[in-house]
Formats: sequence, structure tokens, C-alpha cells
Amino acid sequence: MNARGLRRYVDDLLRGRRPKPFRPDDFEAAQIRTAIDLKAAGMGADAPRPEFLTDLHRRLAEQAEGSGATGATVHKLSASRRQVMVGTSAAAAAAVAAVAVDRLVIRGDQPSDAQTTQADAELTPSEASWQHVAASSDVVSDGVMHPFEVGSLIGFVHRVDGKAEAVSGVCTHQGCRLWFDKPDDRLRCPCHSTSFSPAGQVLTHQLPISPKPLPKLQVREVDGSIQVLAPVYPSEPA
Amino acid sequence: MAQRDPATPRPLRLVSDGRYADWEAVYRDNATWVYRTIFARVGNRADAEDLTTEVFLAALRPLRMTATVAEVRAYLRATARTVLAAHWRETLGREVTSIADIGMAAPDAEDAISTAPQRVHAVLEALPDNYRRILELRFLQSRSIKDSAAELGVTVANAKVLQHRALRLAAQVNEKDER
Repeated sequence: MNARGLRRYVDDLLRGRRPKPFRPDDFEAAQIRTAIDLKAAGMGADAPRPEFLTDLHRRLAEQAEGSGATGATVHKLSASRRQVMVGTSAAAAAAVAAVAVDRLVIRGDQPSDAQTTQADAELTPSEASWQHVAASSDVVSDGVMHPFEVGSLIGFVHRVDGKAEAVSGVCTHQGCRLWFDKPDDRLRCPCHSTSFSPAGQVLTHQLPISPKPLPKLQVREVDGSIQVLAPVYPSEPA
Repeated sequence: MAQRDPATPRPLRLVSDGRYADWEAVYRDNATWVYRTIFARVGNRADAEDLTTEVFLAALRPLRMTATVAEVRAYLRATARTVLAAHWRETLGREVTSIADIGMAAPDAEDAISTAPQRVHAVLEALPDNYRRILELRFLQSRSIKDSAAELGVTVANAKVLQHRALRLAAQVNEKDER
């Protein structure tokens, strides 16, 4: 029970001041919740001030410019306790949010990320041969990704502008086998909700750092047969 | 290696959903609903401005512009949820209000921003006349206690007691409705 803390809190809300912290019990918290509802329901009470929007825009521009130096920027602008706190808690908050969202959540603050998320890595086995994975007539431009397995290689083949393309069918995070989600046009990993575009780029993940894109496989079409450059496996003579 | 056509098409990209051109576009398009979403849950400008600032400072840095508009919005709402929860932990030691997880539903829809007006309407309906009047005057119309007392034809001391009791009863009604 903290009648004074509650009275002061409600008073501050009514006067439009920042309310002061205290430790409410259940019923006091319920009254605060109702008081907040009442304040928020007032006509036009919740429109942001134009000055605030302009000021925040300026701060974000500073952050974008000095990317990486955010902590320093925030401290330099010091004012309220909250602003100082941003420097330490922002990254943590972002990380928590990243885990909470199933989609998106692709972090861009790792310097090497730009290269690794581009699906340019191509699988080139040291000892390889062209191996049949599908009949040309089976793979048409209908957006379907056809799974295949040749020896130690698992992948998906499909057509892009009439040309056959293939990507690895194994998740680059921890090696789970992907499946093709046709309605969403993406390859999904059942292990950690990672998903990849048909071209192998990471679309969504729940991990602290984005996994690598899927390696592309080299493909050719000969006499009605789609072939992938796959590693030679022991049962086949090189 | 082998006969690989050098003119292989570029990797297929999904471009069916809209995307933002840059962080400024993200900010312009989302600042208002993020602020309103937070204001509806803290009820005062100072906290709403601080928390909105924190959301954008935290969210824009790691944000990759290849995300779709819907994904960016879901991400901003998720960040706001985290920031609000931290705010309550620090100030009152308990989660007084929260931002519900609505998956990929549009967070800029009125229903997602706030259901306070509907809740308040229902609560006020359930209150005796003088209780309803004092809450309307004080909270919705931002009238002073002196003003409100005069309006209701009671003393200032009585108006204070009335407001205190009205809020208690309103909270009881509100909580009952929640369940």
C-alpha cells in the first residue's frame, strides 16, 4: 500500500508531468492503468508534438552518420536519465526484440555481413561431375522448387527466366534439411525458423547473427536432363 | 569450370512487398503510430517521447532495408514492446500496461494502437453519474480540480474525494472487464 505514491502519480498524469516511480500494489497498479486509459482516451491527447518529431529526426540522422558512435552521441546530448540509458540498453532491447520477431530480424551491424548475405557463394567441389537431378520437362517456370539428392548433395532446382538454377537444400546455420514453402515462395528450416529466398538469400531468422546464404549449385541442361555439378561419390569412378 | 553460361540471370529477389527507401522513410511513415501506441500505455507526454526515442534509436541501427514494410512495422512494434516492459520494470516494478504481440497484423491500425477509448467508454457507462462526471472533467477534458468542483457544485475537498473514489471504482470495473 502506498496511497501517497499513487495520489502523486495520478496527479502528475493529470498535470501532464512525468510521474515519479514508486512501488504500487495490485490495486494501485490497476488504478494507474485506468488513469492511463482515461488520459489516453482524451481527444487528440496522443498526437506527437511536431518539435519532438523534428528533434528525434535530427538525433537519428546523427546516429546514421556516426554509425557505431551512437553511445557517444547519446551521452553528448545528455539530458534526461532515459536518454543516457539508451546508450546501454538499446542494443539489448534490439536483441530481445530481434529474438521475439519471427520475420525480419536481420541485423546489419556486423561489418562482414554485407558480403555474407549476398547469395554469391557457389559450390565448387574439388572433384566433381555433372549429375542428373531432374528431367527438363519436370522443372517448369511455375515457381516450384524441386528437391533432389545426388550422393552427398541435397538441393533444390527451379527455373528463373527459363534457366535452371539450383541451391543447396541444407540450412547454413546447423545443417537441418530445408523444405519448400510454396505459398510463401521460400525455403524454410524447421530448426530455428530461418527462411531463404529461392535464390538462397536469408529472408528471416531468429538468431543473433544472420546465417550465411545458401550456396548456389552449378547447373546445366543437356538433352532434356538437368544436371548439377556434384561431388564424385565413392561408388562412382571419377 | 564446365560450360556455365556467364549470362546467368541475377539471383531471384522477392520484390512483391513494398520496401522502404531509407531510414528516413521508415521514420516518417512510422513515428506517429509508434508514439501513439506508447502514449496510450503511459498516459503522459514526457515518458511517451523518451520511449519513442529509445525505440527508434534502438531499432533503426540494426535495421536492414531489404525488409518489407510489414516486417519493419512488426519489428518496431516488437521493439516498442521490449522498451515499454523495461520502462515499467524500472519505474513501478511491474508491468502496468503492455503492447500485445499481434504477429504480422498491421500495428498502425487504430485497434492496434489503442483500445483505450472503447474501454473507457464501457467503464464510464458503468459508473454512477457524479463519478463519471468527475473523471470526464479531470481526465478527458483536463479541467482543474477547482473548475471541476464548481462545475459539479461541490467543494474542492469533496471533488478530490469524489475523484479518488471514482478512480477506484473505475479500476474495479476495468479489471473485471479485462477478465
